[in-house]
Amino acid sequence: MDDIAIIGYAQSPSQRRAELTEPQFLFPVISEAIERANVERRDIGFTCAGSCDYLSGQTFAFVMNLEAVGAWPPISESHVEMDGAWALYEAWVRLQHGDIDVALAFGSGKSSPGDPSEIYPLQLDPYTLTPLGADPVSMAALQARAMLDKGTITEQEMAEIAVRSRTNAANNPYAQVRGSGDVDTLLREPYVTAPLRRHDLPPISDGASAVVLATADKARAVCERPVWIRGIDHRIEPHQPGMRDLTESISTRQAGRHAGIDHGPVEVAELSATFSHQEKLLREALGLGDEVQVNPSGGALAANPVMAVGLARIAEAARAISERGVSRALAHATSGQCLQQNLVCVLEGA
Amino acid sequence: MTPAATEPDDDNSVKMMDYFMQLEYREPLCPVVRRYADQLLEGRLIGHQCPSCGLVYLPPRGYCPICVVETTDADETVLSDRGTVTNYTVVTPVQYYGQHETEPFVRASVTLDGGNATMNLQDLVDVPVDEVRVGMRVAAVWKPKGERSVADISNRSWGSAEGCIDGWRPTGEPDAPAEQFLGKATF
Amino acid sequence: MTTHTIEFPYTRTLGPVIGPFLTGLRDGHVLGVRNRDGRVLVPPLEWDPATGEAIDVDFVEVGPAGTVETWAWVTEPTRKHPLDHPFAFALIRLDGADTALLHAVDAGSMDRMRTGMRVVARWKDERAGHITDLSFVPEEAA
Repeated sequence: MDDIAIIGYAQSPSQRRAELTEPQFLFPVISEAIERANVERRDIGFTCAGSCDYLSGQTFAFVMNLEAVGAWPPISESHVEMDGAWALYEAWVRLQHGDIDVALAFGSGKSSPGDPSEIYPLQLDPYTLTPLGADPVSMAALQARAMLDKGTITEQEMAEIAVRSRTNAANNPYAQVRGSGDVDTLLREPYVTAPLRRHDLPPISDGASAVVLATADKARAVCERPVWIRGIDHRIEPHQPGMRDLTESISTRQAGRHAGIDHGPVEVAELSATFSHQEKLLREALGLGDEVQVNPSGGALAANPVMAVGLARIAEAARAISERGVSRALAHATSGQCLQQNLVCVLEGA
Repeated sequence: MTPAATEPDDDNSVKMMDYFMQLEYREPLCPVVRRYADQLLEGRLIGHQCPSCGLVYLPPRGYCPICVVETTDADETVLSDRGTVTNYTVVTPVQYYGQHETEPFVRASVTLDGGNATMNLQDLVDVPVDEVRVGMRVAAVWKPKGERSVADISNRSWGSAEGCIDGWRPTGEPDAPAEQFLGKATF
Repeated sequence: MTTHTIEFPYTRTLGPVIGPFLTGLRDGHVLGVRNRDGRVLVPPLEWDPATGEAIDVDFVEVGPAGTVETWAWVTEPTRKHPLDHPFAFALIRLDGADTALLHAVDAGSMDRMRTGMRVVARWKDERAGHITDLSFVPEEAA
């Protein structure tokens, strides 16, 4: 595989309820990513978007999002009904063909108009799961209980993860839930869906993220400090939650191995742990020790713009390298319920 | 697999499953559409004119997707409520779920006088379906001021004036030449 | 604030595996399917999730009782949930099955739920061939 680099990235601040429409808040994010990449819009040979029409509540809503890209004269573009991290994966594959040298990936979602507990059951098996209204919080709670029963996490640890996320988010201008509250206070809160409390859940967020990729020659020509994608891989597990071991993330472990995380030490990991217990599960699947800085941005517990949050993890990992001098970082994105599908991306500086 | 063994045609086994999917969405109007709605109540159609290419967007979107530049209140322009039918379709309703119409009806694109601004999927009133044609001159039929409502205006209904304009009525003026509009995209 | 509703009245064909499964529910029994290794999958699937191989349809009746493998207590049910009062979602390994089925346990109170507890199917009087033709209750309450 040819080396591909991240040469530009941008995010919108996550908001509980954005006043702007999805194309409107995407507009400045895409413009900023392109500007930071030091390329022209017409240099982009391929564009791939990640979004969800059910979130928007409108068929073909993803076509409206293209208005933020500049799609006239017609451009070469594609769309995934998945997190923008998978749009980046498609753009990365597209660049491997070698006939274009710049690609744009973005993700966006406006979760505030709908009710996530009613929308997400629609992504499940339509015969046995959707009609039960199997919502993501309940599904995550089944997973957390399985971990608690197995002794691989405690409610105290879950609260500690939430507190650290909020504390880390204090310095992140894009975050939505920032820091206060100690572990004991959080543990006195009632359960939302036992064994999960409010702090174990992600916020409902509206937001967008965008990343510009380039081939090696182009990246060196336009960018002082490209961030190299050394490996990227995604894997999936069976759909029925009762046919998986919810206390492990085999697909994350496989994706991590295929993305080459073992080829060197990881300094920073940005993980799409949308529920507190999932951070521990992912750490174990990826073999991340205490020396690894996990979610310095605050992660998905601090801002969860669905369809953009995984790509935002890649943008944050890239930012750690290009702006904070980290030499090797990884980013993780997830899709489906209880970490059914997982993507791992390994990034390095020069 | 041996589906034949498990799927006899003449038994009373369960072969189909109904699922009624219903979702509700609530959101505030974005500022440019809020402004558009307020002006509709006053009987005015407004758009944003792109400072770069001059195309007019109705309702305003806050950007020009062609030039990829943002537009603001400074780009606002008041549009005519008279125009020309530049495209149309006759829908013969099939009684699927949610279809309330029973007779053939027209949905027309009306390009407003003075520019490119076009309102799509508009009702035409006081004209038989088979007399509708490209080039037909029409004028908005506004509801009386006290009866106007913008309850159905949303961020999702670009170009709609539902609740304020009942439809478009032929003015009786000579047609504009159809060749001027045929084969062209409208915005 | 604007309100917008979307509705799709779906009608789905069921095929050779889910069709008999839902027919079974209508008739008051739960069917699993045996894979090549002899493991019994519930709900039954057309393909083995571990290998991707097509499964030769070999139905096995399971349950109606089973063991709770994990559970979540739903304090405020949504209008899409199968019960309108607090209940547990649970992964239930039905007797005779090798995998767990997601379903609702009507336990009355969270205090009555624990991992490893026994539950049993409670059937609706009027059944339509639908996953909500049944729910589960603690075995001692049945």
